[in-house]
Amino acid sequence: MLRATNRVLLLLTGLLLITAGTAGLATALGLVPDAWAWPWHRSDDVVLSHAERVHLREQGWFWPVVIAALSLLLVLALWWLLAQSRRPRLGEVLVDTGDGVAAVVRGRALEEALTAEAEALPGIDRARVTLVGRRTQPRLKVGLILAPQARPDEAVTALRTVAIENARRSTGLPALPAEIRMRSAGHAPERVS
Amino acid sequence: MNVTAAERPPEPDAAPDAEEAHAHPARRFWSERRVPAVLVAAATLITGGPLLYDIVAVRADRPATQWRRNLADGLDSRAMDDAWVITGCAAAIAVGVCLVVLAVTPGLRGILPMRRRAAEQVRSGIERSAVGVVLRDRALAVSGVRAVRVTAGRHRVRVLAESHFRDLDVVRADLDAVLADGVRDLGLSRRPALTVHAHRPAKR
Repeated sequence: MLRATNRVLLLLTGLLLITAGTAGLATALGLVPDAWAWPWHRSDDVVLSHAERVHLREQGWFWPVVIAALSLLLVLALWWLLAQSRRPRLGEVLVDTGDGVAAVVRGRALEEALTAEAEALPGIDRARVTLVGRRTQPRLKVGLILAPQARPDEAVTALRTVAIENARRSTGLPALPAEIRMRSAGHAPERVS
Repeated sequence: MNVTAAERPPEPDAAPDAEEAHAHPARRFWSERRVPAVLVAAATLITGGPLLYDIVAVRADRPATQWRRNLADGLDSRAMDDAWVITGCAAAIAVGVCLVVLAVTPGLRGILPMRRRAAEQVRSGIERSAVGVVLRDRALAVSGVRAVRVTAGRHRVRVLAESHFRDLDVVRADLDAVLADGVRDLGLSRRPALTVHAHRPAKR
């Protein structure tokens, strides 16, 4: 979600800058046809003369529109900035007990159980598990640090078939999608002599 | 006769194992682009905030700040083909192109996606540095290999091994076999090409 927002806003900002820059360059190089309704027609026209500014200012709508647009822009920028620091983390997972009684598992408890189980698997040194998504459709984000001599493919298979599958079954979820990223703690080479 | 290179194309097994044939073509990991977002948002706030404050202050009959008067004078005195205007426009285009590129490319070039089978709901990826460490460990297990340097690129893994005993050609053949297995065991969605160089340590 944040990823899509960031990318769309970056794309819009980029396109806006390109458009404005191209328009300015075209004007400066005198490439704008005279027929166009464009405030600058000779490349030595000043950017914004005092007379034009005063003229703009005296229109009744000018300042309110500027202030409203700028405020809106600032509120959007502030929201966008604050959104970057938010880490969406799931507080709890809804468990379907099958008899009409709803149970809730604390997200932190599930994360800890998964972490412990993952770290007990061969080839995995340390794990960090974060629960994201919705209460009824949680997803996992897993960061692993591989142990020396680990086989990454087997580590993923073990994590999927043991730790994640256990968590999925114990919470009664139909599916528990996961995203796994593996790193390696740069350990010293161990040579076989 | 110190350096001899053995180039090796990616495994020529034209008929990959069945599980690989059914594998999803794993997609790249896409970055969230937090850093550029923070920069653009902060730049907007830093330029827009004082401007809005000043506009409102002037509306409330307070004198305009010096920088705003300078800006108005500058806009009045500079023609459209002024060097500053052209530089500004060029800079805006350059920054804009960067932002568009950042917005549409995946990023996270350090993470290689791993194979994924259709029914699985697990996506996995491994960092290139980890690929390097795993393959280095494999290469060091070959007898005769004293030191190894692995450079894991996105399409090619380059292995430089230093061998102090056994025939170089034998060591190279062993390395080739062990590393080909090692690359296969990584389970990457697109298997990188492997280049193995073996040489004797430099004489002291």
